[in-house]
Amino acid sequence: MASIKVETHWWRFVEECFRREAGTQAPIPDPAQDLIETGVLDSMAWVSFLRTLESASGVSDLGTLLTERTPSFESIFQAFKAAQIKTQTEIPTGSPSQNADSSSTNPSITRTPTILASSCATVGSRTISSEDVERAFGMPESKLRLRAGIESLAYAAEDENELTLGARAAQQTLHAAACGAQELDWIIATSETHRGYPSLAAQLHSRLLARETCAALDVGGACLGLLNGLAVAQGLIGSGQARTIAVITSDVHSRIFTPGRVAGEFGGLFGDGASAFLLRAKNASTPQQSYALGEFFFGCAGQYAGAIRVADAPNGDLDVHFDGEALSRAAITRMEKVILDVELRSGLPRSSVQGLATHQPNPRLVALLAKQLDLPLDKFPSVARTCGNLGSSTCGVALDAILHSAMSHQTNHHGPIFLASLGPGLLYGGGWLVPA
Amino acid sequence: MTKLLITEITRMGPAFCVIGLQREKDKIRSVRPVSATANSWMHFPYHRGDVLQCDLAPFCGSKPHIEDRVSTSGFEKDSAVPEPEVVTYLRKAEIACSLQELFGCVLHENKNGSGLFAKPPEAKRSVCGTVTQNLRLELCANELRATLALSSGEVLRDLPVVDRDWRDFIEAALAIHRGANRLARLERFLNSQFHYKVLSCPHHFIRLGLTRPYHDLCWLMLDTLIPLPRNDWLEEF
Repeated sequence: MASIKVETHWWRFVEECFRREAGTQAPIPDPAQDLIETGVLDSMAWVSFLRTLESASGVSDLGTLLTERTPSFESIFQAFKAAQIKTQTEIPTGSPSQNADSSSTNPSITRTPTILASSCATVGSRTISSEDVERAFGMPESKLRLRAGIESLAYAAEDENELTLGARAAQQTLHAAACGAQELDWIIATSETHRGYPSLAAQLHSRLLARETCAALDVGGACLGLLNGLAVAQGLIGSGQARTIAVITSDVHSRIFTPGRVAGEFGGLFGDGASAFLLRAKNASTPQQSYALGEFFFGCAGQYAGAIRVADAPNGDLDVHFDGEALSRAAITRMEKVILDVELRSGLPRSSVQGLATHQPNPRLVALLAKQLDLPLDKFPSVARTCGNLGSSTCGVALDAILHSAMSHQTNHHGPIFLASLGPGLLYGGGWLVPA
Repeated sequence: MTKLLITEITRMGPAFCVIGLQREKDKIRSVRPVSATANSWMHFPYHRGDVLQCDLAPFCGSKPHIEDRVSTSGFEKDSAVPEPEVVTYLRKAEIACSLQELFGCVLHENKNGSGLFAKPPEAKRSVCGTVTQNLRLELCANELRATLALSSGEVLRDLPVVDRDWRDFIEAALAIHRGANRLARLERFLNSQFHYKVLSCPHHFIRLGLTRPYHDLCWLMLDTLIPLPRNDWLEEF
């Protein structure tokens, strides 16, 4: 948010915006003058004037700050002051109470901590048994259940797509935090299946009715998309560029990886789902029972790039190269390494975690990963077993499940949450959340 | 005598503007009763869903307010229709799915600030119903504003809410006797329960209108938001 430092600057600023609304020849009113009662502006012009000010100043809640106040220049100046004070009261990361401090790697950086205020996940409303999926793809009977551990898949219904699933998750997330869409500074969306324009973030922006000056950004990374989105959001909030951000994942594989287009051993693993997270700058009113984002790290292990490649073929088909065995080995090795790195960087023992929100290529690999790490399987929410691999939403659905389970316990001693995921490339990333 | 199903009661400064539905053979259309001397009524003791009997005379209203009819006698209440049924009739009257279809003309964005307007000679009517994908109400410096997404995906921002019942509800929510943090509590309601109560309502419907020409422009406003607010919702926040 742009800060307006000196009163003379405010005066010039308000004057310029006023002239845009009332006309260049309009006399400048007295600061205390009631602009509506004295007929300088009607109610429509007053709101229009404020919207111009909001857009130009970056103080997006000016209208809210002016409710129950006299419509005058003086009130506007007071609202600007209040907005500035509000920004200053956001607690910097360097405060001793903040244990999610990512500035440990660079003590000179003081950043505003990011709080995960609420979350929601949703999956496609059609549940398809693995046997039905095998029949549709012409696969050997029980292969999905026995080899991959998948019992069913969540498929989108006819009226569901990336936009509707993502919007549903986002709206419930906003409602849970009693946050109006007008409070959002950014919408960050990720999807490995959405194609075309307007992009998913832009469509979500319109569907949620975010204000025009709320930015919309799409990030890639396929199954790593959620972590990418969270890291971008953390950077924006930490640097003071934003206060409230929605990070949304949404993936509908069932319309892309269809029988005849891809082999069942690949297409039969994927389901449809979405998740949404509301991130806020930590301030004095942050609820006690919330999580703060820790540190994120990322990389790209190019040696595994050949294990999975998906591209458009010239005839309109999908050209899928999927070496299941090689990918499984790479996934297990790299995921284990990422989780051990999270443990090392955070200084938090993995035995203390509330849960692990990770990529889940299939349930068998999750079980294997838990065994390798000597962790109980129930620390990994069961997503892939009943819904399939949800792409960028797998991590999201798992994280939402852990957060809800943590909040439903009547104790203030919640454990940290580890995040780890992979994407084609082989992209990898990890991070953690700690109780705020 | 004409039977008029009252669908709109809007606040216009200190007065009320009224619109109803009239059946004409197999068609249902909107009619705006006005007095011989003014476009609005200082006193209108009826409610949405009331069926009123009145005498209406043709009136050469200027575009786009082609729905104007002069009421030559008083109103007499005949019966009342429940809210879901009112919406059933509204869906049979003027209705549109996209911005251009709303008033049969191009709608322009206010380049200086907020709001949308139509040019009076271009608009074919001054009221129209529509279905929304999403709707949000907010208080902006004491003014109630709506932002909504049409089923076409087009977004309309900062429309003044002139619906009498919703304005009354907001005023009641902010009444001093309701204690501390009234504004914060109201904002919380508008950001959370409002969505469940209004958007999940099976007969959710809105009507948009155009103001009388002001500096040669007619501005868009939210005339009616159904369901209408209920007083017991005030107990919830």
